[in-house]
Amino acid sequence: MATRDSLIQVTDLKKYYNKGAIKALDGVTVNVERGDVMVVIGPSGSGKSTFLRSLNLLEEPTGGSILFDGVDITKRKVKNAEGKIVNLDIDQHRQKMGMVFQHFNLFPHMTILENMTLAPIQVKHISRAEAEDRALALLDRVGLKDRAGAYPIQLSGGQKQRVAIVRALAMEPSVMLFDEPTSALDPEMVGEVLEVMKQLAHEGTTMVVVTHEMGFAREVGNRVLFMADGRLLEQGTPADIFGNPQHPRLRDFLSKVL
Amino acid sequence: MKISAAGFAKVFQYADMFKEGMLCTVYLSLFTVILGFLLALALAVMRMTNFRPFRALGLDRDGHLRDGGFLLLLSRFNPISFLATVYVEIIRATPMLVQLFIVYQVVFNKNVINLPSVTVLGFLKLNRFLPGVIALALNSGAYLSEIIRAGIQSIDGGQTEAARSLGLTQGQNMRFVVLPQAIKNILPAIGNEFVTIIKESAITYTIGVQDLMSAVKAAQAGTFLVLEPLLVVAVMYFCLTFPTSKVIAYFERRMSRGDKR
Repeated sequence: MATRDSLIQVTDLKKYYNKGAIKALDGVTVNVERGDVMVVIGPSGSGKSTFLRSLNLLEEPTGGSILFDGVDITKRKVKNAEGKIVNLDIDQHRQKMGMVFQHFNLFPHMTILENMTLAPIQVKHISRAEAEDRALALLDRVGLKDRAGAYPIQLSGGQKQRVAIVRALAMEPSVMLFDEPTSALDPEMVGEVLEVMKQLAHEGTTMVVVTHEMGFAREVGNRVLFMADGRLLEQGTPADIFGNPQHPRLRDFLSKVL
Repeated sequence: MKISAAGFAKVFQYADMFKEGMLCTVYLSLFTVILGFLLALALAVMRMTNFRPFRALGLDRDGHLRDGGFLLLLSRFNPISFLATVYVEIIRATPMLVQLFIVYQVVFNKNVINLPSVTVLGFLKLNRFLPGVIALALNSGAYLSEIIRAGIQSIDGGQTEAARSLGLTQGQNMRFVVLPQAIKNILPAIGNEFVTIIKESAITYTIGVQDLMSAVKAAQAGTFLVLEPLLVVAVMYFCLTFPTSKVIAYFERRMSRGDKR
């Protein structure tokens, strides 16, 4: 089933609460390939965010497996290169997964530049000068180079989210996860953030995006997943999902949001 | 009861006792603050450790986290945190006076820990002063640890999620992201606790520590005046606590500078 380019293979992923009384994720199987721009849509409470957050174990699944670069990150013990059983180093995997949150989660006590260089310096152990050079280059790409010395509180919502995106990119992740990145923004700022994401997609960045922006899903996504009640009900190309929806829940959902 | 200038004049004959009492109160508070803060840090760290000896019981046969039940609860049990919690709850739920007497009469009993009757720092009787400091520190450590813990927990969980998703370890997250923000938040509460310690230290006169309050007792007994010595000591306590809170307010303002546009 796995293709050669498979990056994340999710199999029968489950997240139950209260002994299974609440099923936030009820058996989701999906395969993220390199270069995919996978957009996850669905009504609120459908498990989209739980699914995304499970991918880098911000939520601990109660069942199933997530193979990331060939390693099952849901297991606490893994075999290392020499075949020894060792504890899984989740921090090491998380560096390779950039995450962008609905509420930005910039560090308010640090400048934009410090926000961006903290992890490269502390986790990747690159020099401060090099980290700052890279950070400034990234900020330049999103048009915020002149704001490097500012504090997050001095930025608008759209600017904060653009910083959050390049902060994640500074770790050079192999996949970017977006958890409703435009939902907390004023309407006039949604465009600037989507523009940055579109640019990333065109550069071939692998992305998994949970969003309510149907325009983005249709235009930029190469695969769209529809989730409801913790299940993956339908997946396909944007043309399939929006042009020829099969599942009644999807038709119902689209009739409400389009 | 009337207040007279002559009454105050009589009280001022005890000026040396008040002076020593004030110094004693300052020493008491300083040592209590230092010891109490160290204890509070230790307690806060204990309460937030991730030491879970039965962690493995929370996983099912496939190695996944269980979704409920007794074994999941047991796997979350942290004996270190439990001990610290029990300590804090007992201290908070019993009177300071009882704690002081337990330390002085039971722990520093001649048959348990026998302190030599020497004077330290010029005029302080070690066998009274030390139990006083320890009792106060044991008490304020519990309160301070709650303040520190609440400060850390007041930081939005999104901060930790962002830090961890960037690959920072739990320790790096604490050091670079959570603690710098938490300290700013808890500074006012810590300042309050320092002021409280200065005032609470008055209780140690009951075990014979020669602090400000004991000077009052001496002056009252010698002059048969009730009100004047109390007024004098009230002013003296105010002179200690008010500047302390102002100094802390100053640091608070300095630290919150980055918050403003």
